[in-house]
Amino acid sequence: MDITESQLNSATVLALSGRLDGLAAPALEQKVDALLATGVKNVVLDCSGLAYVSSAGLRAFLTSAKKLKAAGGKASFAALTPAVHEVFELSGFLTVLTVHPTTAAAAQ
Amino acid sequence: MSSSTLLTLANDLAEIPRLAEAVEAFCEPHEPTMKDLMAIQLALEELITNVINYGYPDGLPHTFTVDLSSPAPGCIRAVITDDAIAYDPLARPEVDTTLPLEERKIGGLGVHLVKKLMDVSHYERRDGKNILTIERRLNRAD
Repeated sequence: MDITESQLNSATVLALSGRLDGLAAPALEQKVDALLATGVKNVVLDCSGLAYVSSAGLRAFLTSAKKLKAAGGKASFAALTPAVHEVFELSGFLTVLTVHPTTAAAAQ
Repeated sequence: MSSSTLLTLANDLAEIPRLAEAVEAFCEPHEPTMKDLMAIQLALEELITNVINYGYPDGLPHTFTVDLSSPAPGCIRAVITDDAIAYDPLARPEVDTTLPLEERKIGGLGVHLVKKLMDVSHYERRDGKNILTIERRLNRAD
């Protein structure tokens, strides 16, 4: 999986592409930890290029969202592909995480 | 169209992408949707991760197999057979997917997804082996 960082409005956008499986999940958690360490609090996870997520990936999303919230910030998830959207729905993540149709909407 | 594919995997999480590629290659002639592919890859990742992380407490290298087949048109079956410690992951209690963020626990979520995404999920212990069978009908209405 590739993680590309950019800025949009006041948010730090992490564009995820590829597969967020059990092998890739630790890299995402490390990336969010590194952002938190530099004081970043508002993170948008752009999932438009994310083809796959397993429960290990969901765990990384949940952990990241909890840490950002605890730091007084927030995590927003944007542009889920249909397959990833289905896994969010089945896991109840559409209600516990903030999900937007587009990255632009998430970075408002 | 090959009728089945037998994969031998090491007890190493690095096998997850290789298994995913093998699933895609096997399913391709059956014209799966993206949701079908992801569902089967996800179910297998969840189940082999259990075997890899908890099945072999001796910490030594082991192998187990995943047998992919199509028992009927439009249906994909995967059978995981391992000689790891006896464990039925499908017997885990149901997770509560309605709790708020602070109270959500991730344990059990993988098996919850397996049950939701598969039409069949079945465990048996036979001849000292764990045998997990999952099946999905392609192009499900959901």
